[in-house]
Parts: sequence; structure tokens; C-alpha cells
Amino acid sequence: MNPYTWVWQYARKSRGLIIWAVVLILVNAAGIVVVPILSGMIVDQVIDEGHTDRLVPMLLIMIGVTLGRTIVRYIYEVCCEQVGQNALFDIRHDLFAKLQSLDFNFFNTVRTGDIMARLTGDTDAIRHMIAWVSYNVVECILWFFTAVAVMATINVPLMLALVVVTPLIGWLTFKMSNEAHPVFFEIRQSFARLNAMVEENISGNRVVKAFAREPFEIEKFEHLNDDYKQQNMNSAAVSRRYLPPLDFLASFLSVIVLLIGGAFVIGGQMSLGDLVTFNGFLWMLNQPMRMSGWLVNDIQRFSAATVKIRSMLGAKPAIVSTPTVAAKQLQGKVQFDHVSFAYPDAPDTNVLTDINFTVEPGQTLGILGETGAGKSTLMNLITRFYDPTEGHVKLDGIDARDWPVATLRDQITIVMQDLFLFSDTIQDNISYGNHTATPPFIQEMATVADANEFIAAMPEGYDTVVGERGVGLSGGQKQRISLTRALVKDPKILILDDTTSALDMETEAAIQTRLGNITNQKTVFVIASRISSLRHADQIIVLRHGRIVERGTHDQLVAANGYYAETYRRQLGNNADLKGGE
Amino acid sequence: MAKRNTYDEDEELEEKFNLHDYVRVAHYLIPYRRRLGIALASILLGNVAMIMGPFLLKSAIDSAIPQHDMTQLWQLSAFFLITLVVAFGCFRYRIWAITEIGQDLLKDMRTDIFTHLQELPFSYFDSRPHGKILIRVVNYINTLSDLLSNGLINLISDLISLVVTLIFMFAINWRLTLASLVLIPVLAVWTYFVQVAQHKAYRELSNKQSNLNAYIHESIAGIKVTQGFAQEANAIETFDGVAEENRQSYMKAIYVQFALWPGVQNISVLTTALIYYIGIQHVGVIVSTGTLIAFLGYINNFWNPVINIGNFYNSLITATAYLERIFETLDEQPEVKDAPGAFALPPIKGDVQFDDVSFRYDADSPMTLKHVSFHAEPGQTIALVGPTGAGKSTIINLLSRFYNVTQGAVLIDGVDISRVTIESLRAQMGVMQQDTFIFSGDILDNIRYGKLDATEEEVIAAAKVARADDFIRQLKDGYHTTVQERGVTLSAGQRQLIAFARTLLADPRILILDEATAAIDSQTEILLQEGLQHLLAGRTSFIVAHRLSTIRAADQILVVNDGQIVEAGTHQELLAKHGEYFQLYESQYKMLEE
Repeated sequence: MNPYTWVWQYARKSRGLIIWAVVLILVNAAGIVVVPILSGMIVDQVIDEGHTDRLVPMLLIMIGVTLGRTIVRYIYEVCCEQVGQNALFDIRHDLFAKLQSLDFNFFNTVRTGDIMARLTGDTDAIRHMIAWVSYNVVECILWFFTAVAVMATINVPLMLALVVVTPLIGWLTFKMSNEAHPVFFEIRQSFARLNAMVEENISGNRVVKAFAREPFEIEKFEHLNDDYKQQNMNSAAVSRRYLPPLDFLASFLSVIVLLIGGAFVIGGQMSLGDLVTFNGFLWMLNQPMRMSGWLVNDIQRFSAATVKIRSMLGAKPAIVSTPTVAAKQLQGKVQFDHVSFAYPDAPDTNVLTDINFTVEPGQTLGILGETGAGKSTLMNLITRFYDPTEGHVKLDGIDARDWPVATLRDQITIVMQDLFLFSDTIQDNISYGNHTATPPFIQEMATVADANEFIAAMPEGYDTVVGERGVGLSGGQKQRISLTRALVKDPKILILDDTTSALDMETEAAIQTRLGNITNQKTVFVIASRISSLRHADQIIVLRHGRIVERGTHDQLVAANGYYAETYRRQLGNNADLKGGE
Repeated sequence: MAKRNTYDEDEELEEKFNLHDYVRVAHYLIPYRRRLGIALASILLGNVAMIMGPFLLKSAIDSAIPQHDMTQLWQLSAFFLITLVVAFGCFRYRIWAITEIGQDLLKDMRTDIFTHLQELPFSYFDSRPHGKILIRVVNYINTLSDLLSNGLINLISDLISLVVTLIFMFAINWRLTLASLVLIPVLAVWTYFVQVAQHKAYRELSNKQSNLNAYIHESIAGIKVTQGFAQEANAIETFDGVAEENRQSYMKAIYVQFALWPGVQNISVLTTALIYYIGIQHVGVIVSTGTLIAFLGYINNFWNPVINIGNFYNSLITATAYLERIFETLDEQPEVKDAPGAFALPPIKGDVQFDDVSFRYDADSPMTLKHVSFHAEPGQTIALVGPTGAGKSTIINLLSRFYNVTQGAVLIDGVDISRVTIESLRAQMGVMQQDTFIFSGDILDNIRYGKLDATEEEVIAAAKVARADDFIRQLKDGYHTTVQERGVTLSAGQRQLIAFARTLLADPRILILDEATAAIDSQTEILLQEGLQHLLAGRTSFIVAHRLSTIRAADQILVVNDGQIVEAGTHQELLAKHGEYFQLYESQYKMLEE
């Protein structure tokens, strides 16, 4: 599909407006003819022939037509902008909806700033195409042919003498168009890089400051800033090559009118008034010629932008929902059946290998393992953020791939290690997964997560606005708000991925006791590095390099004298001096 | 807590529109005044050449054609052609020169705003969505691009045309010229009204665009949460709402903006009619037919620039809304900046003293820290413990001077840190925070961020101490594995280890670990501590942690609660005291033993 058919899909929804615009453009073009014709008539009839009585009516027609014409033009310009806005809205909607459907793989490889550049700068190039370039192209074509037609009625040879330069103009614009396309594509790319760099700098501002790396960041920025300038200069180089010749040819028409037209008047083939009329129409011929170069630039800018947008719209998420079972309430049984997993960018490195376990509804599974052992990856397979490379993840005995993704995500909630809060009130953050939650329920859950107290102590309580990514809150506060958010959603399966690591043990213990009271109907997964968080689980597995190396209950694992027991003793041993101290 | 802005809230702008903004833009042109001068000269020459057109046509109509003088017609045509060649050359030069000046200016502006951003405190970044900051550095400045590259130059070129045309017109016939100027006041009034409405409309639009950008940014950053909670449909709905506001305010702005042109056009035709009316009354008396035709040509030459200037004015108004935002950011004063006469802090020995320090984030908020005093000897390890939100991180932030103290003083080696340059202070300090940020690039470069000129061996050595070496070697390309911003494919623990290596590589004199090991499993942490023992020797370090295992070995433990130090001493001393620390410790013990 070429860029024009693609963009037409979006523009066609505003067909009504487009038809109006086209009709009005034609009306305007008809009106535009009037002024030069009247000028010629004034010269011939009023000045040459002395019919001074006709002057005032002619002038009044001129003024009236212009008034009508400008109103008409105003209306169609606004129509075109409206079409552009409508299309912009739909394109952005589609892009954003696409974004929501893409999986982690996409976000792992495409930088935030790049995505943002597509949703803002690139979409704007498309809006400009629809709202401005399109009708200017139509106007130019219309002017050109109207002028040719009118001139033909006055003097065909002179008209032909003018039209003779058109092929040259066509050839120049064609060449320019070919050269401009790659240049604009590079500008877009350079812009995306610049945007992405600044975005990272803003997001990572704490690290930049902590290391006093401002000069380094500025240098990095300068480099990209300079590149962006260079790309723009490349575009100027193309313009410099083609715009002046186009402009020259357009102006050259005046010389033709002067010389050949003058000779015709001298030779008696046409009147002076006709020459004046011809001259009056000249801009309708040379304006399209002058504009052609600029329009080509805009069109290529548009075309470069569509490439980036369409590549994003065409991105295929690896996780697609092709459910074979209907959406229904989960019971909460989770089975891993010979599951292995490798990330797509490193298919040879298994992050998880041959994982097997079964968790019955209402049970709790504890997971212990070293940093990077694959604990979080395991959890991401349950909610289908990734699909296993081998084996099956089964929920209530049905393969996760056969469930509607929405059902899974609706009933399974992960409290992630990587905490994210929206820049919104705490209340809205907490009810993010369940907009109908009542304030008493929210407070109840916040109490379970030990968050109610500190939230209530804030100046605006639950209405306090937190910054993006929850900045301004301590790690422990963020963790407790995220936990509350998950609890308020009331999921069937709850996954706690190191959720209480930033809390002191006392707080953690209190949370666990309260959690135990409300989660007996839920299947719970707990990832933790503190034995105190795991010891009450029905089953505990120990992961090492992506494999299950130990499994059992707390007592069994302590007796087994492996990694778990060692960790336990170490954590216990730390407290030995307390015992001794008493 | 500071007042925060969200994506659905327009930012208020206190500054009123003023000419000052443009004077500031003009300042950016000063370095390029020579090039600009040459460019303007070429524009002037080009315009004079172009303006010859109607004059030559007038000569043809008045003399060559009536006198049937073909030779003169040829001469006029040849002369016309020469003017076009001159115009061609000027145009070629102008495209290049003007784009370059415009791009240089934008580049300078972008650099200024970016450099300035680096000086702004956390609170600036914390108090508004990042998307709103981003749009200023990149998108808004790009909006100015057209205005400055084309608009400003076209303006100058049009002004020159206007003046030259007026001179020609006066030279040909002053009466007709005066007649053509009669309607200018009407135009001025029309423009004024459009401008007022347009400025308002664009200000609103820039707010809405900023909101949209903020929402997009946040949606991308929070995509895991959105997908995890199956809230995609809601997010799309919110997005559509913000986008709809954009569409509406855009159209509102368009309704106003497009009204300028019809006004100019109608006034232009009225003037043409007036010239005909007056001119024809006097044809043969004081005006020749050729003069009249030439005059009408000039009126076009005259109105084209006026229309263009009107258009420029339009974009100027549009740009003003953006310019205000840009300068507002540039005018944002960093709260923490080098004091006048600040000097570089000499190499730190490591004596740290908090002398009766109190702190609050805002003048109207309660004190976060109250009368905190303590003293750390060089080489000591100080642990800060206490409930979440007690003020531990605040103490740390004051030490690296991310904020200025409200009362009291922080002294390093006896020097008040408010008197030294921030750069010299932070360069000697290694801070590892709870939020670890990984830049896109490879792991090697991420660790090297701590010491830009570090060799690969140094990087690996630091990674080994930080216990990050093992897992890095298992990655696809080892140290050269590419990671994305925020290191999404790495686990939280792995990211912390990388951040750790980065901090160690910086070889700081004072090391601050702010809940830096929370996501690291206890075995790795123990290995890490063994490695750290060597490193900590001779350095003062501050550790904020909840795991008492991390804390026990500290030389001093400060128990912080409610912004105050409630207990201080060694592990043994504090246990013997049977106070808050004892309770904290006992509860942990119970958790494991029960």
C-alpha cells in the first residue's frame, strides 16, 4: 500500500467534509478568475473606449466576488484542518491502542523517546499533509488549468509559449522528490535519536546528578544536536539545488509575456487589454510552479513519517490472544509442565529450564533463589507476558495460551519488583485495577498492606498526588502502595515479587499475618530473599540458574540441609548475638 | 511534599506575554550577525531585482508597445532576464545561509535549555510529568524552527520588498501611493483583534499538547502496570480524552488564525478598486495607462508582503505560546547552586558532621528533619535505621547536597558544603539509590558511567567486587550485551549490582548506599559485603538498609524516627540499651525463630 492509500483510509471517514471542501475549492477557483478578467475589461472598455459609467459596477463586482471568495476559502481551509484533525485523532488512537497491545519484547528493544517521536512529530507531518498540502496541491493544479483555459480563450499561441516550460518544471520536481525522500527519512531518524537521548536524560536525572555527569551528558547531547542540524542542512542542500531553478522558470514566464505578448500587440494580433489580462493571470501559472518545490518537500516529509508510523502499527506482538476457552472465573490451580524459556534476543541462553510444579487453588508457593536465577521470569510466564519456549503453563488444567489474555491479567495480579506509580492521586493509583472499589474497601486493603497509616498522615491523604514512577515516596512506601493496588483488585492469583524487600521485618511480618487472613481463597506466589517471608508457604522451591534445585516445605528444606537451609541458618545466625546478649 | 502537576492538569504560566521574549530570541542571533548581514544583503539585492518586473512592464506598455519599437522590447526583455538571473543567484545563497543561521540558532537554544536542565534539582523533575519537560527541549523548539528559519527571514525579506516597493510607488505617483495606504489602519485593527484571540487559543493548545505528551510518556513508562492490571481499554479511553481536547483546542485556534487572511485579502481588493477609481479619473491627466498597470502590479507586490507579514505575525503569536514555555524553563532557578565565590572541595578525608540540621521541602510544609546532629570520623561506617519514611533518605540527600539544609550546616572535613562547588562535592561522593537507572547501551558503558575513562579491565574489576561479573558473563554478549533504558530485561537485583559496580568504579571518598541492596538475595549480599570490606577501608560510608545483617558491623548506628535521631551507638551498645533498636532487632529474630 502506498502512503496515499494508507492515509486515505483515515481521511475517508470525513468524506462529507472533503466533498464540501472540493466543491468550495472549485467555487473559489471560479471566483478567482473574475478579478483579472475585470482588470482587462477595465483597461479595454473604460480606459481605451471611455465607458467610465461601467467602472463603478465593475469595481463593485470585483469587491463582492472577493468577499464571497475569501469566505468560501476560509470555510474550506477550516474543513481541511478538521479532516486533518480527525485523521490525526484516529491515527494517534490506533498507534496508542497498538502500543497497549505490544508485549515486553517491543518495549525491551524500542526506546521511549523514539515511540514518542512517532506519536507526536511524525503524526504531525501527516496532519500537515492532509490539512494543508492536499488542498494546496489541488489548488495549484486547478489554478494552472484554469489559467491555461482562460489564456487559450484570449490568445492560443501566447498560452502555448508559456506552457512550453511546464515539462521542465515537472522534471525538476520529480528529481527533487526522489532526492528529498531519503533526506527527510534521515531527519526523522535523527530527531528520534535526539528525543530518545533527552528522554533518558530526564528519566535518569538522579543518576546523572549523583555522578556529577552533567558535562558528559551535555557532550552526548551536543553530538546528537549537531547531527540533527546536519540532517536539516542536507535538506537545505536539496532545496538549494531545486528551488531557485523552479523559481527562475516561474518568473521567466513574465519575460515571455513581455516579449512575445508585446510583439503580438505591436503586430496587432492582440489588444493591450488582453495583454493586461494575460499578465493578471500569470500568477495562476507561475504560483503553482513556485509552490511545486515546497510541496514536494512537504510530501516527502509526510512520506518519511508514514514509514515510521506504519512500521509501528505493523509490529506484531509475540503474545496474541487466540482463546479456545471462554472467559470464566479462575479456580486458581497453576501447573508448570516441563517449562523452558529463553528471551528472543538470546535464544540459546535458557533463563528457565524444565520447570515442573503444581500449586493447588488457595495454596501458597514460595520461591527462593539468587539474583538473576529466573524468579521474575517464571512469574511473567503465568500472566503471559511471555510464552514458554518449551512446555506448558496450565491454569486450571488449561494451557495459558488457550485462555483469553484479558481474563488472565484480570484475575492474576503481579506486584512487580519494578514499581511504577502514575502521576496521579494515591487514591486513583490504588484503584487503578478496580475503578469501582469503595473508599472503605480501599482503606481496608491499605491497612492490610500497612499503607493506610502513612497515607492518612500525608497533607492531602489519599488525594496526595505522587510524581511519575512514584518519585517523592520512599521505596517502602511505594512497595506498600503497589501492594494495596494489587489487593484492591482482588485477584484470584496473587504474585508478590519481592514486594516487601524495602520494608523492615517488623512491618513485613505484620503485613504477612494480615495477608494470610485475606488470601486463603487465593493462590499466592511469594518471591523473597528473606526466609521469614517464605517459611509459612505450603510449598517452597529454590531456583538456581533457571532450574529447580530444591523443593518442599520449610521443615523439609531445613532438614534437607541445602541452599535453603544454609540461607536460613545464615539469617538466623545474624541474630545469634541477640540470644547471647540476653 | 511539593505540589505536583499531572498529565490532565494545565500548567499555569505566571509570566505575561512581552516583547522581552523576542529580545531574548534576538540575542541568539548576535553570534551570527555577520552571516546574517550578508544574507540580508543578498535578499535585498534579490528583491530589488524582482521588483524591476512591473517597472519593465510599465516601460513596455507606455513606450515600446505604443511606439511599435521591437528593439526596445528586446532590450527590456533582456534586462528582465538579467534581473531574474540575479534573483536566482540570491535565492540560492539565501536558502543555504538562512537555513544554516536558523538551525544554528535552534541548536544553541536546545543546548541552552538542555544544559540548564542539568542544573535543575530533583524537585523540578519530580514535580511534573517527564513528558512535559521533554516536549520543551525537543518539540517546542522544533516549532520555532519554521518561524526562525523561514518566517523571520521571509519577514525581513518582505519588509525589504515593502520598503522598496513603496519607494518605487512614490517615485511613480505619490497620489496613488497615498491612496493605496488609506486602508492600512483598518488592517491594523483587524490584525489586533485576531492576535488577541489567537494568542489565547494557542496558549491553551500548547497546554493540551503538553498534557498529551505527558500522558503518552507515562503510558509507555507504566505499560507493564497497565497490561498487568488489564487496563488497556481504560488507558485508551483516557488517551482519547486527552487527544480529543487537543483536537478541539486545535480547531479553536484554527478558527481564529484563519480569519486573518480573508481580512487582508478584502482590504487588498478594496485598495485595488480604489486605485482604479482614482487612477481612471486622472488617466491622461496625471496618470498614464502604463503607470496604472504598473501600479496595480506594485499593489500586488505591496500586498503580498503584507499578507506574508500577516502570516508571520500569525506564526509569531503561535510561537509565543511555545517561547514562553521555553524561557520559563530557562528561567527556572536551581534551588541548589554554587554559592558566589564557591571553591572546589579539596580531596575528602572523610570527616562528616551534621550540625543541628533541620530541613523541610517547602516553606509551608512541616519539617522533615528536626535538629539532627551527628559526627562521623574518617573511615567509619554509619548505618541509618528506622521505620519507612522516617527521614533516612533525606539525611542522605542533604549530605550530597541534592537539597540545601533549612537550618544548621553539613560539614565535610570541617568545611560547610554549602560553600563548595557542587561538582567537586559530588564527584567525590558515590551515591547508590533505591531507583537504579540503566541507560540504553551496553553493560560496559553503563558501569563506566562511574568513571568515563575507565579501561575494560577496571570495569571488570569493579563488577567482580560488586558480584556482578558472574551474571554479566552469562549474558549473550557478556559485557557488550545491549540493554535498554531502565534495563528492562535485567532483574531488579541485577540492575542493583550493575549500579553498584558503577558506584565502586567511581572510587568515591564517601560512599552512600541508600537501600541499595534491597533486591539482592542474601547470599549475594554477603559476598558483596566481603568485597566491600576492602573498599570501605579508609572511606566514610553511609548505609540505609532494613536488613540488620547489613547494619550490625557499622561503627555507628543512628536510629531515625520522625525526623529525629532517637538513638545512636554501636550494635552492642544499642542492644544493651533495650530501646527502639532492640525492639526492631528482636522482632526480626522472632520472625525466623517462632
